[in-house]
Amino acid sequence: MHATIEVIGLRKRYGRTLALDGMSFTVLPGRVTGFVGPNGAGKSTTMRVILGLDTADEGSALIGGRPYRSLRAPLRQVGALLDAAALQPSRTARNHLLWLAHSQGLGARRVDEVIDQVGLGAVARRRAGGFSLGMRQRLGIAAALLGDPPVLMLDEPVNGLDPEGIVWIRGLLRALAAEGRAVLVSSHLMSEMQDMADHLVVAGRGRVVADTSVAGLIAAASDGRVTLRTTARPEAMEVLARAGARVAVQDRDTLTVFGLAAERIVALLGANDVPFSEVAAHRASLEEAYMELTRDAVEFRATAPGDETATS
Amino acid sequence: MRRELHAEWTKTRTAPGTAWLLSAVVVLTAAASAAVAATVSCPETGCDQDVARLGLAGVQAGQAAVAVLAVLAVSGEYGTGMIATTFAAVPRRGRVLAAKAAVLTGLTLAAGTVAVLASVLAARLILPGNGFTAADGHPPPSLSDGPTLRAAAGTVLYLALIALLSLGAATVLRDSATAAGVVCGLLYVLPLVPLMIGDPGLRRLLWQAAPANAGLAIQTTTHLDDLPIGPWEGLGVAAAWAAAALLGAWLLLRIRDVRA
Repeated sequence: MHATIEVIGLRKRYGRTLALDGMSFTVLPGRVTGFVGPNGAGKSTTMRVILGLDTADEGSALIGGRPYRSLRAPLRQVGALLDAAALQPSRTARNHLLWLAHSQGLGARRVDEVIDQVGLGAVARRRAGGFSLGMRQRLGIAAALLGDPPVLMLDEPVNGLDPEGIVWIRGLLRALAAEGRAVLVSSHLMSEMQDMADHLVVAGRGRVVADTSVAGLIAAASDGRVTLRTTARPEAMEVLARAGARVAVQDRDTLTVFGLAAERIVALLGANDVPFSEVAAHRASLEEAYMELTRDAVEFRATAPGDETATS
Repeated sequence: MRRELHAEWTKTRTAPGTAWLLSAVVVLTAAASAAVAATVSCPETGCDQDVARLGLAGVQAGQAAVAVLAVLAVSGEYGTGMIATTFAAVPRRGRVLAAKAAVLTGLTLAAGTVAVLASVLAARLILPGNGFTAADGHPPPSLSDGPTLRAAAGTVLYLALIALLSLGAATVLRDSATAAGVVCGLLYVLPLVPLMIGDPGLRRLLWQAAPANAGLAIQTTTHLDDLPIGPWEGLGVAAAWAAAALLGAWLLLRIRDVRA
């Protein structure tokens, strides 16, 4: 099968809340797709619809071209971690994985393999109810890996993990994508996507506000500002203005230049023998790019008294 | 269906409550039956008791454990959120319901059989001491007697139907406490309602409709003509309750979003 997730025009209303408002994107194999957006953007609902747990009012979600509910042994096609707490606390970790394995026609050997893969070997026969959040996340990931699926979908998998766990999951997901699997990972924190995702789907208010590569998103948010540090401010200003740039003075030896690329500025200053100590093109951080995109999509935001449009 | 059955069996087997509740079915039924047998007596002047019904009376207590077992099989999953994991693994939700019903029915039939045999044994040991002897014309219950065998086997089937009724109700209601309350209401409060009704026609109708009253008509071996409903017809009423609960559960599973 083709390891893809296709989400096509999903619409879903819970009472008066419009949870999904035309959500559409495709998750391709061989890369980690980050699914980011503020809380309430519709990420979890989208994942629930993909898994056939919730029914959309409109639109469809397909796994390798087929609706989830039509899959014969679904965990062999899609491994999902939605809620790490979604297990019965009195059952041992191994027995939890065992009934899941049996539901897919898999045996105890596969259970022991994934237990080792996520590093829960020492506690596999302990009750899952006594697990820390990080251990439950690992158990949830073991369940997702159980069917060796070509598609993986994880909702906030980094939540509750310690730094070592975060590094581990980052490496695991990148390795799974490198094997040619389609990996969709959600988070409400863009910083978690740094060094993890290749591609980003940014959601806000139930729809996609950006569907782009990580590099593309940063480039789009960067506005072409260049910071120039020089001891010869008047000369520099004159040279750059002649070349058509707009120049603003920041302080005694720092200028902000608009409308010229950094390479061009270096060439111009060099040709006119203007000394400078630093030329830095401004690049937005992933976080800034994200804030820019989702500014209108944040549902709950601190508002200064008397200022309806204030941003936090 | 094999995978679904295997998964549900593994779940049930590894839930710590299962063994306790199955033991409770046996112990509660046998102990209550023995207690009832110990309190009745047949005086020298003769008596008019239905010894089969007396000997199986403990099922009134044992059915509570059956109901709890069945309610927890599904609402335990809703309460913890595991139901989402279950339906992600088996998106054909009707199959999950069918597999749960099959496993519960099997376990209840097994535990119910042991419970009923223990009850009959207890009655056979206790009743003769209270004046129920073959010599006086009031032999204690014996499974070689046709109507008594029907009462005993029917009681086992009755327990299985209570399990299915409880499973259906819990799937509809999702919450453990609500489901247990509703099922206990059906089993213990509804049978009292006919006693509060003056109109004989309506009283008879309510008696015939209550699953515990009608279903346990299967235990009656004497004065069958005085019963508002026949033994097998009564068990049929209990079966109709179970079928209706399961049908409602199946319909709601199809249309409802999976929310814990």
